[in-house]
Parts: sequence; structure tokens; C-alpha cells
Amino acid sequence: MFKKNYRQDNGVAYLLLAPIVILLTIFVVIPFFYSLKVSFYNWSFYQPSVFVGFDNFKFVLEDDLFLNSVWVGIKFTLMVVPASMVVSFLFANVIKGMRRGSASFVKTSIYIPTIISGIVASVIFVFIYDYMGGLANYVLGWFGSEPRAWLADVKTALPSIAVPAIWLGFGLTTLIMLAGLHDIPESYYEAADLEGAGPWQKMLYITVPLMKNIVLYLTVTGFTGAISQYELSLVMTGGGPLDTTTTPNLYILNHFRNDVMVGNSIAASLLLFVVLGSISAIIFKVLNSEKAIDG
Amino acid sequence: MQPTQGKIRFSTALLSVMLVSSMALTACGSSNDNANNSNTANTANNASGNTANTGADNGTDAAANDGSTNTAVPAEKVTVEFWANKFEATTDAWFKKWVDAFNKSQDQVEVKLQIVPGDAWAQKLKAAQAADKAPDFYTMNYGGIANAAKLAQIQPLNDLIDGAKFDDLYDNIKDFVSVGDKYYAYPMLVEPSAVLYYRKDLYEAAGLDPEKPPATWDELIENGKKLTQKGIFGLATGQTAPDLGWSSWGLQYGAAGHLALTDDWSKADIMNDGYRAVVNFYADAFKSGIMPKQALSGYPDIAPFGQGKVAQAINGSWAIGQLRNDFKNLVDKVGVAPMPTQTGDPSATTATLGGWTLVVDGKSKHPKEAATFIGYLLGGEADVMIDFFKTSQFSKFSPRKSVDEAMKSDPAASQDAWRALIAEKVIPFSKAEPIYPWDVSIAVSTAIESAMKGTDPEKALQKAEKDINDFIAKSKLAGTNPKAAQ
Repeated sequence: MFKKNYRQDNGVAYLLLAPIVILLTIFVVIPFFYSLKVSFYNWSFYQPSVFVGFDNFKFVLEDDLFLNSVWVGIKFTLMVVPASMVVSFLFANVIKGMRRGSASFVKTSIYIPTIISGIVASVIFVFIYDYMGGLANYVLGWFGSEPRAWLADVKTALPSIAVPAIWLGFGLTTLIMLAGLHDIPESYYEAADLEGAGPWQKMLYITVPLMKNIVLYLTVTGFTGAISQYELSLVMTGGGPLDTTTTPNLYILNHFRNDVMVGNSIAASLLLFVVLGSISAIIFKVLNSEKAIDG
Repeated sequence: MQPTQGKIRFSTALLSVMLVSSMALTACGSSNDNANNSNTANTANNASGNTANTGADNGTDAAANDGSTNTAVPAEKVTVEFWANKFEATTDAWFKKWVDAFNKSQDQVEVKLQIVPGDAWAQKLKAAQAADKAPDFYTMNYGGIANAAKLAQIQPLNDLIDGAKFDDLYDNIKDFVSVGDKYYAYPMLVEPSAVLYYRKDLYEAAGLDPEKPPATWDELIENGKKLTQKGIFGLATGQTAPDLGWSSWGLQYGAAGHLALTDDWSKADIMNDGYRAVVNFYADAFKSGIMPKQALSGYPDIAPFGQGKVAQAINGSWAIGQLRNDFKNLVDKVGVAPMPTQTGDPSATTATLGGWTLVVDGKSKHPKEAATFIGYLLGGEADVMIDFFKTSQFSKFSPRKSVDEAMKSDPAASQDAWRALIAEKVIPFSKAEPIYPWDVSIAVSTAIESAMKGTDPEKALQKAEKDINDFIAKSKLAGTNPKAAQ
């Protein structure tokens, strides 16, 4: 009896796994190994491909622009991820304290940016940052300030692009944070009240430690999301001024569009994959995920 | 029994959950990966969608012919796919009009036109080529021809288009479209990349002589200072590296007498006074405060000038078409002059001649039919091309002698003062666009932009020289100039 059931379970398990395995094979595994192969070739569509060994990788690694783009990606992430964490944490706490009706209104409103595409957001923000007649410079004008070239100035371009990135992402982040907050049993806070803990102590000793896994999850996804961002800079600045907003994926896209041979952009993608993987691993290592005490 | 049923129900639920989640996963995968993947997928779908259609058409035709599969059927129409870059609305309409006319005129060839926006062009074409679905023929600018020919991406046209049609081209244009002893493209137009547009009324208001446009760079900047006032900038020109990459070629030529590479492409040639002057011109113009800190539009778009936000604009000859079509009220107040030169010498080069051609893809299965249409559209009756130059408001120029001859009898064309000025004072001194890789041009223009943004011009040029030489070494560029190799 036991044995029979056991076998049947196996069959069902394989059946259940089949779709995802097949899809992953088609869309992830095969392209990955194929691109690994192509990265060793001068791949042209009109002439036989030529094996060039590690040349493509060397080409990319020796390209200052690639290293610069990775650095730009990291700087961008450091602006976007912490800021959106703090903003969403505050929002989530405020929403948690609201009455049901108004809470759902706020939840819906902050979720709206999430469903707006990056391209649309970029266009909206291009108007906001417009040098003549943009909203940002209009507001500056109230204070008698000269208009600023937000997107054309080396200093302000990257932060200007980080703002829409935060705006796009914080709705979803807030909802996840809120779910995490709701997951913390009220009894903990009640107990803390009895002990005479203030709001700061409750936040520091109950909320923050119990949100650790949520924060870890949001850090890793936020990091990969932010560093692979390219539409914002593509639409808003085209990677300029002077490549200060060329993120790694925009670098790859530019090479894909302009280069005669494709090997270079594929090698760059693979290298980016290595960079992303190792940084994610570091985050996991530092912010060790643990099972919540409450289970 | 009960538990098993329960299990099965649970498993179906799980199955559907997994299906959904795996779809979500793959969707995430493609959007996360990067631009290429998702876009490639889209464009590949589009492309294959189109060819699937045409394939279906052929299929039904063949089926009608009793299932005999293909080629030998004489009455069957050959479908060739044609991709055109999106240009001004008038040009798009002109393409459509004459494709329709051609399709109606005979029953051998059916041309399918697709107009592709410029920013999607490179990606879409790459994706189609990777999927072996490249169009049979498409638009290409002069700068790309030599390299595409070298890589067999386009076919020689000598055997496909009647030689007399090539004899009709001006000699310097013949050189633009040929590599070695073969023609690889048929030209459609030429247009100089830099002309000065200025507002005569604002000149008068500022106490300047509206009939005396600036002749030197210094005068241009001085006039700009007098013209700058609240809400109106004194000068607009390219000011980001990608725009400067090509819009400054003419100035580089004029000041240095050559472009950024030595003739054999073995090293950068920019550490000289000519290049220093170009970099300083842009840096001075930008720092003098007569240009907006952020470009109001891309270089090829003269809308801010048309809207009255700019008093002097440097732009290509194509801007005439935009001014006449979109800003009719302003046209009377606009002065057109050659772009000033460094020293005021009117014969120095300030513009490069760019323009568009049609090429046949290296893998096209119907090169003959594609070439037939190219010959009909660009090399055929003068009427077709005159129609084009008329709709573009004579802002572009013909590469063919016979078209120019025919246009002399056209009253609108012969009396057009702007057209005459550009034809007489700009084009004769213009040079062809360079054919070296874009990386070289962008290195130079990055130097210009960094000088504008405060880097020491000498250091900016040194960095550009290093970048170019690195690029030459890495991509083994030395000695590969297809034009010098002959």
C-alpha cells in the first residue's frame, strides 16, 4: 500500500515539475549555454563566425566604459534601494495605523506607479525636469533660483533618474512591507506596552528584527531590479551626459545596436551576470536569512 | 480512496499554480534580462509575423496552381520586403505613394513597405538578421555602406541595376556608394549637415545687420551674446556627445583639414590646432551662456528655433523643410547662411554631406526584384524624385544630374533662394561623411562635451586620443579602411 502510493506520488511529482522544467529549459538553460558558446565567437549574421577565445571578454573588461557602467549601476542602486526602503517603511507604518477605508484608498493610490511602465514614467519625468517650463524648475523659480539642467548636468543626472525609479518601485515595496508588519503578532506589542516600552523601543526591538526577512528579500530584489534598470536612462538621458547615466544594461544595449559583431554584448551580459550573482551572494551572506521566531 | 482523491484535487490545484508561476517566472526572466531579449522577442515576432503572412500568400497561390510548390510558376508575384527609416511625415507619405504606384504598375513584383522609427531601427534590424528574416532591401546612410559591404551584409548592385542609372550620378556621389569597383547602394539624396539659421527681426532689434550673417566662429558667439535675452537663447547647436559625434564632422574638417583618423586608420590624428580650435569653439559657446544648459531638442530638430526660443540655430539643410511645413509664419523672418568657419574663409568646410540610399540585403532571396524597385523609385523617371524634393520643400539635394536638369524647368525649384544658396555656397565645399566606426566619432565628441562641461580641453583631447588608439588596437582597425585599401 505504502509502496504503491509512493510510486504514484513520484509520477505526479514529475508531471507537476514538467511544465516548469520545460519552460526553464527553453527560456533559460538553452539560451544560457548558447550565449556562453557565442561569447567565444565573432558572431556575424552574414559571414561564418570565427572562434576568438576569450577576446570578447578581454575586450569588455578592458573597456573603461563597461567598468564605469557597473559603477554607475552600483551608485544608482545605492541611491534607489535604501531610499525606497525608508520611504516604504514609513508609508507602511502610516497605512497600518489608518482606518480600513482610508487605508485601502492609500494602498491603491501608491500602487498606481507600479503599474505604469518605465517608459511612460520616463516621459512624465522628462517633462518635469524640462529645462524651460518643467515643473521642477518652475518650483525652483518660486525661490528665485536659476533653472537647472537636471538631466544635462553631470552632477544631477543620476540622482534625477533615481527619483522616478524610487517612485516606480515604492508602491509594491510598501505593500510587501505592510504585509510583513501585519504578520507581527499584536500580542508582542501588547506585552511591550505592559512593560512600558515607548514607540521607538517597540520599533527597534520588535518591528525591525521581525522584518529582517522582508528587508532581505526587498534588498536582493531591489538590488537586481535597480542595477538592471536601463529604460529610464535610455529615454531620459540616453546614457549621457558623458556616460554618467549609462547603466550596465544600457551599455549592453548600445553595443548590441551599434556593433557589427554581437559577441561583445553577449560577453558583457555574461560578465554582468557574474557581477550581479556575486553581489547578491554577498547580500545574502551579510543579512543572513533566519526563520522567524514565531514561525 | 478518499485521501487519494484529495491528493489528486490538491495536485491539480498545485499544477495550475505551478503553471501560472512558471509563466510569471519566464515573463520576469525576459523583462529582467535586458532590453535585447524582450525587444528581440517582440521584433522577431513582428518580423516572422510578416513573413508568415507573405508565406501564406505564396502558399495559397501555389495551392491554386495544383500544389506544385514554387518558383517555376510564371504568373506568381514575388513579394519583397522593404524597410524604410521613419523620416518627416512627407517622406513617409512619398514612400507609400510610390510603392503603391509601383505595385499597381506591374504584376511581377509586390513590394511590402514597413516604416520603422529611427530609435527602434538598429535593434529591429539586428533581431531580424539574427532570425534570418531581414528585409530584402532597406534604407542605409552613406556612412554605413563601406562597412556593410565589407561584411557582405549588402550586395553589389552592378549586375542588378542598369549601368546607365549609375552614370547619371554626380561623380563625387558615385564615390559615396561604391567600394572598390562595385556599387553597393543607390543614392536617394544628399543633404549638408550644417547650415546657419538666424532670426532677421531679432538681429535688427539687437542692432545687428540682418543681411550680414556672421562669417567666423567668434562673430557667431558675439552675435549670440547680443541676441540672448530672457526666454531667448543666442545659439542652438548639438551639445550632447551623440549629437556632436556627427554634427561636428564638418567643423573638424574645416579647421583641421582632415578627420579624426589617419588615412590608413592606424592611429588617431587629433592632437593638433585644428581640433583644439573645434573643442574650444564649442566650449566657449557653451560657457558664454548663449546656449541653454540643456539642449532644447536633438540636433536634427529645429522646433525650438521655430517656436521662437532661439535666435540662431545651426542645423542641417533638412530644417528648411521643417520650418516651411511646421512654422509657416516664421519663414519670412528667417535668414539662412552657410555655417561660419573658423577664420571666415567661405571655402572652408563646415558641413559633411550625408544622406540616404537603398541597399539590397546580402541574404535577400529576390535581389533582382528588389533592385527593380530601387531602379524604379530612385533611378527611374525624374518625376518620382522631383515629387520627393518638392514635398521636402527643396531642403534636400539630388545625387542625379538628370533630376537636377529636369528641376531647372520647375518654377518653384528654380526660384527658391535658400535652395540656391545651399547649392552654391554650402554643398561645393562639403565633404563626405566619414566611414570609420562610430566609436571614433563618439570619442571625439565626448572630448568636446567634457570640455563644454569644464574639463581642460587639452586633457579631454588626450583622453579621446587614447580611447581611439585603444579602440584601434582592440578591434584591429589599422589598415582596414575599405576606401584606402584599393
